[in-house]
Amino acid sequence: MLDAERLTILTESAKYDVSCSSSGSKRENTKGGLGNSSVGGICHSFTPDGRCISLLKILMSNECLYDCEYCPNRRSADVRRASVTPDEICNLTINFYMRNYIEGLFLSSAVFDTPNRTMELLCETVVKLRKVYNFNGYIHLKGIPHADDEIIMRAAKYVDRMSFNVELPSEKSLKLLAPQKTKESLLLPMKKLSTAQIYDKENKVRRGKGMVIPAGQTTQMIIGASPESDGQILRLTEALYRKIGLKRVYYSSYVPVVESPKLPTVGAGLLREHRLYQADWLIRFYGFDVGEICGEGDNLPLDFDPKCAWAMRNMHLFPVEINTAPLETLLRVPGIGAKSAYRIIQARRFGALDFDNLAKMRIILKRAKHFITCKGKFYGLESGNAVKAALLLDGIRENEQQLSMFSSPSVALSALTGEI
Amino acid sequence: MTYYIVDGTEESFYTAVFEAYNDRDCIITSERSVQLGLGFEVKDVATDGQKAARVRAKLNELDGGAEEDISLLLRSNHALKENVAFEYIKLIVAHKGAVRAMLANPVVIEMTEIRTRVFYEVHRLKGLLRFMENADGVLYAPYSPDNDITDILARHFAARFSSKKFVIHDVKRKRAALFDGNEIVITYADSADIYLSEYEAYFENLWRQYYNSVNIASRPHIKQMKGYMPVRYWKFLPEKKVK
Repeated sequence: MLDAERLTILTESAKYDVSCSSSGSKRENTKGGLGNSSVGGICHSFTPDGRCISLLKILMSNECLYDCEYCPNRRSADVRRASVTPDEICNLTINFYMRNYIEGLFLSSAVFDTPNRTMELLCETVVKLRKVYNFNGYIHLKGIPHADDEIIMRAAKYVDRMSFNVELPSEKSLKLLAPQKTKESLLLPMKKLSTAQIYDKENKVRRGKGMVIPAGQTTQMIIGASPESDGQILRLTEALYRKIGLKRVYYSSYVPVVESPKLPTVGAGLLREHRLYQADWLIRFYGFDVGEICGEGDNLPLDFDPKCAWAMRNMHLFPVEINTAPLETLLRVPGIGAKSAYRIIQARRFGALDFDNLAKMRIILKRAKHFITCKGKFYGLESGNAVKAALLLDGIRENEQQLSMFSSPSVALSALTGEI
Repeated sequence: MTYYIVDGTEESFYTAVFEAYNDRDCIITSERSVQLGLGFEVKDVATDGQKAARVRAKLNELDGGAEEDISLLLRSNHALKENVAFEYIKLIVAHKGAVRAMLANPVVIEMTEIRTRVFYEVHRLKGLLRFMENADGVLYAPYSPDNDITDILARHFAARFSSKKFVIHDVKRKRAALFDGNEIVITYADSADIYLSEYEAYFENLWRQYYNSVNIASRPHIKQMKGYMPVRYWKFLPEKKVK
């Protein structure tokens, strides 16, 4: 049986992978089997760093052949090494799951022999978990670059989600910092999986009948270890969403912990990471194109969130009347989130809304009031400059909070996230 | 003013709605400790299946989803939950149809807030409930929720652990849901003597180990942790119990 020491080593090595989502799949319980998946995802615990535990995040092994510059498990690093067997993983997953500690498994590994041998062992583990241990809970599997398609596609039929990490926002940086990985070794399997998903959809292939990754694909990249601008990063992000159909792109801000002449000596800062996530949300849920948010060579402004920044560049479009503006327009009002926009649309069908109604509906108006009218009345500041000053003040408070959240320098480690 | 006192069951509530419907000055409540003044009258509602069925039928005709809303409302620990539900029914009847999208209406706002609180606690506890395995392989989960949600949780876990037997025990309300692999039974349950499986301590320890190692200690954010996982739930979490 698995001992506490190996569990610790393999968890410590896996914990910087950002993703811990268990949503997007509704796998059903099979007769005599254990588990199902909840489409909205379920968090099972929260650690003192404020992050949620949804999945058992663990590596099969942290003995890596590769020597990626930024990774704590790289071949040349002096760290404790350990591995586990497929049965040990399965047994632990089942026992944690039935005690309701976790929603499923997030399995990953260092490349310990050959990419194919590693991917095969990962695949063997998930097949065993499904077929021998009859597990119907959530499984997120990390893809190993350079492994054969045949093994990857076989594994994809048994898991809910797969992810290949693009690692760095450009091919040039990848060559410099992760020389054993190539752009093709990361993007090709993502495209193959995406094609298989489209095939399944068109041919109505069902879960359990060979359908691949019902909860889709995600990826992760390190921000600030290489010189790409936010504009470039977001263009890559948009392409990943719109062309490969990814569910999520995770960003992880670089902070120097590994000394290397190839890596910058200063970190990227977590505010930049935060702004990228905000822009990412605008692309996915608010109907923005990347071109509206950020020029190709530019970085996102740090003083304002990207929606505020866009609105202030487009003051001629505001204020909008809350009772008549279409959904697309409401979504573009700073301070009004997607949920609030939908609630306004619902509520106003029964009568015109005034400022007081919005407040009682708990729509946050601190920023929005400068950009809306209610029944023709305006409650914000008149001049563009005054609005800018008010928002700037808000921004400063928000940033202070953001920064104190991650104040310690050894956030460092988050930079290394997930590279395995 | 008349107080219609109900016993906390849905049947009793719907009977009270039938009886109180034309009473312009009344309150429906399950709180026994009402403060009475001059001119106040108390009516103990005797549950009547036929009256309740007529109210349900009418409600279903007007809005197929209202019973579900009310079922969640009545599980709440909110002192005025029955009366909010009553006002909600009156609004549905007045509008001759569903009103839950009238998000600016004060009754709908109140209903939605209570309902959401119950719904959210269910969601939260789907994650935070912890089972222990006893020597016979039966799973046992004691907990103490704010709202009366044991049967909803039992349905969730019955779908998930169809091949297991389990007990979910609300120790505050002394109620338990028993699942034998086929059906769920809700019963009175005071205290329970549990003989744990020989592996229980081993897996609890591994879980604590996992919890401690997956944390990024250099990045503390206790406030956020407590926000998502309020301290009142901690006493049933092995990773949070003081050893």
